[in-house]
Amino acid sequence: MKYDIAVIGSGMSGLMASIYLAEQGLNTAIVSRGDPICSVSSGCIDIAGTGKKTLDSINNFPEEHPYNKVGEKGISYSIQYFLNIMKEEGYDYTGNFEKNRNILTPIGKHRVTSLVPFPMKHADIGKDEAFHIISFKDIKDFFPSYIRGVFPDTSISVFNAGTHTTMGIAAKMDNKDFLSTFITWIKSQKIKQNKIGIPAVLGITKTYEIIKKLEIETGKFFFEIPTLPPSIPGIRLYRSLKSIAEKKGVSFYGSAEITDFKKEKDRIINITIKKPGRPDYVNADAFILATGSFVSGGLFLDKNIFKETVFNLPVYSPVEKEVFNQDFFKLGHPIEKSGILIDNNFNATESAYSNLFIAGSILANSETMKYQCGHGMAIATGIAAAKSAKEYLK
Amino acid sequence: MKETFENCIRCTICVENCPVFKVNPEYPGPKQAGPDAERFRLDGIETVDKWITHCTQCKRCDFACPYGVDPSKLILNAQIRYVSKHKKTIPQLLFSNFHYIARLGSFFSIITNIITSLGIIRKLFKLIGLRSDIPFPQFRFKTLQRFRKKSVKTPEYLSNNNQLKKRKVAFFHGCYLNSNAPVEGRMIIAILEHFNITVAIPNQVCCGLPALGNGDLVKAKGFAKKNSKEFAKYIEQGWDIIYSCTSCGHTLIYDYPEILDTKEGELISQNTWNLYEYLLMLKDNGELNFNFTALDKVISYHIPCHLRGRGVPYPAVKIFKEIPNLKMNIQDIDCCGFSGSYGFKEKNKETTDTLGRIAVESLEECKPDIIISDCGACRMQISNFTETQIIDPIQVMFDALEL
Repeated sequence: MKYDIAVIGSGMSGLMASIYLAEQGLNTAIVSRGDPICSVSSGCIDIAGTGKKTLDSINNFPEEHPYNKVGEKGISYSIQYFLNIMKEEGYDYTGNFEKNRNILTPIGKHRVTSLVPFPMKHADIGKDEAFHIISFKDIKDFFPSYIRGVFPDTSISVFNAGTHTTMGIAAKMDNKDFLSTFITWIKSQKIKQNKIGIPAVLGITKTYEIIKKLEIETGKFFFEIPTLPPSIPGIRLYRSLKSIAEKKGVSFYGSAEITDFKKEKDRIINITIKKPGRPDYVNADAFILATGSFVSGGLFLDKNIFKETVFNLPVYSPVEKEVFNQDFFKLGHPIEKSGILIDNNFNATESAYSNLFIAGSILANSETMKYQCGHGMAIATGIAAAKSAKEYLK
Repeated sequence: MKETFENCIRCTICVENCPVFKVNPEYPGPKQAGPDAERFRLDGIETVDKWITHCTQCKRCDFACPYGVDPSKLILNAQIRYVSKHKKTIPQLLFSNFHYIARLGSFFSIITNIITSLGIIRKLFKLIGLRSDIPFPQFRFKTLQRFRKKSVKTPEYLSNNNQLKKRKVAFFHGCYLNSNAPVEGRMIIAILEHFNITVAIPNQVCCGLPALGNGDLVKAKGFAKKNSKEFAKYIEQGWDIIYSCTSCGHTLIYDYPEILDTKEGELISQNTWNLYEYLLMLKDNGELNFNFTALDKVISYHIPCHLRGRGVPYPAVKIFKEIPNLKMNIQDIDCCGFSGSYGFKEKNKETTDTLGRIAVESLEECKPDIIISDCGACRMQISNFTETQIIDPIQVMFDALEL
């Protein structure tokens, strides 16, 4: 099959790149090995740092950070683009590119992030703010007492949903009759506070209608508290983006392990997807590599040698053999800097391929944990790489 | 496979994709049923895994896993082991032998169709663990195999009579198209012939999936061996294999070279095509043009799990995009919950029905004129929850080609 452009990886950056390109009228394919890490994430978009303003952090990022290749205008544009498409899809995000905000976590501590899905709009709890928590009988991995440890005035009530998993409860919430029973029960609890926190189970597909109904019928504000995976806000984020991409005509190759590729001079011509049966060949005029870092399988460390897993691109890493085992869990370990170095066009430097563009956490020096810029960086570089690829195809 | 499950990093992505986990609190999900429990199984420790039979083998976990683990295969092996160590239930015995039931059912179709709809027999169904509240599929006398015997389209005959076209396909119809939906089967043949393709219906038996799903590996291997031998003859003479039932296709491509381990398995796997994938390939090669007429319809397309699991852009969707005025909504997030014989068992009723309702609700969101799905079992299930007409996609193509 022949495409204008093939994006490898269906995570945040790959999806954003493919959506952008398909919207520009390009025949786009996504090749993905499986569901991405964003589907088990909290669904929040971190843009930069833990301070009040994201720009202050970004201005202090080192010269070689990928954000500096995108530029302030580019970041702002791509974040706005993300907000627009999510709104169109009916899964709104709140926030803007310049500011950070807080959300309440299941252990009662705040977490700093930038954009939150609308069910977490009211999750920025003030120091002395009073709120109520609704939990569920036997629910796994959610202990409201942790939160009460930090906010002693919090009251708790427990609903018996008849199942103990976040996914099970969320699926039931999508059912009208179940939701009505739940609302009747909430009313019977005579909750005094205006804000009600609830683990993130307010529906998998009908979240918008559910929250609207809850707020109208009870007169309270509800906010979701992210849980351990299965993470419902993560599922919603991934499925929304995938659905947007599909509506714009992006073709999906799933469960796809790329075993080989063909090149002609300085261009990649096609990739081979190996699976039981005949292999698939995806031909394209340009490629975007958005396979992620070590956890997502874009990078691989084999006997002290760093490898890029699809095209065997040269990998930059400041890590010396002897520091592998040092302070591995401390932020700022040099291994986080490993990745693919790029030029201003998002082509890999030291690589011969003119039609290959790199995006997302596979980029060298991104240090997404240290700078708290994971999803934001993925969105910004995804769109920036897509723009470069589009320029190239002209 | 034994090595790959060690790649599991417990990210829970498979669990997020498991339809049964979503609605049945008794099932711990593919992560625990697959790689987690496998660590005990390898040590020879008996796990108490009666719940292993809750898995429908929809393969969504395999498709979702980014680390190359196939939880469903681990679970399938555990299911087979569980069944082998316990007395087989009557539904398990019945569905392992569905091939014979379907053949007999078709031959005595008038009688079988009456019997299976009688109230007293339905009560008996419940007694032996089958569901009595959903209709049993109706059998047709004029099966595709009977059609085959009338038309002598063997490779030898066709080549001796100079009737071979450039493209030649051997049609693997499976049990459902043969015994329950031969009309759709004939439509497929007509469409292929319309595009100047020679079609043969080789002598064939059940693909083996119902036997495999009900824990009878020996019987499944028997079926697979028979089919492999017959179809390999065609492949060796330059024929391609075509399937329309997505579950049969999945079995041919994934299971024949692996768990069913037939001698010709790899050959079969390499040369088997989804009907629409094949037509699309011919179109890309410039060998055919569709020239559809307009259809003023809104269609909701329920993607069967085993088509989704192929991991290619849905070929029928790409073809139907060329039909003028046709509006299509694709639904591949929700499994219909039926999973062939699984849905006929009384013990799975709640899981099956809950999933069915969820799937149909999202299918009907766009207020479709018709719902389509490649899989006969999916269609059966969906028809239990909606008044909307539900048909095989081939009928849409048939209409758009004005055949």
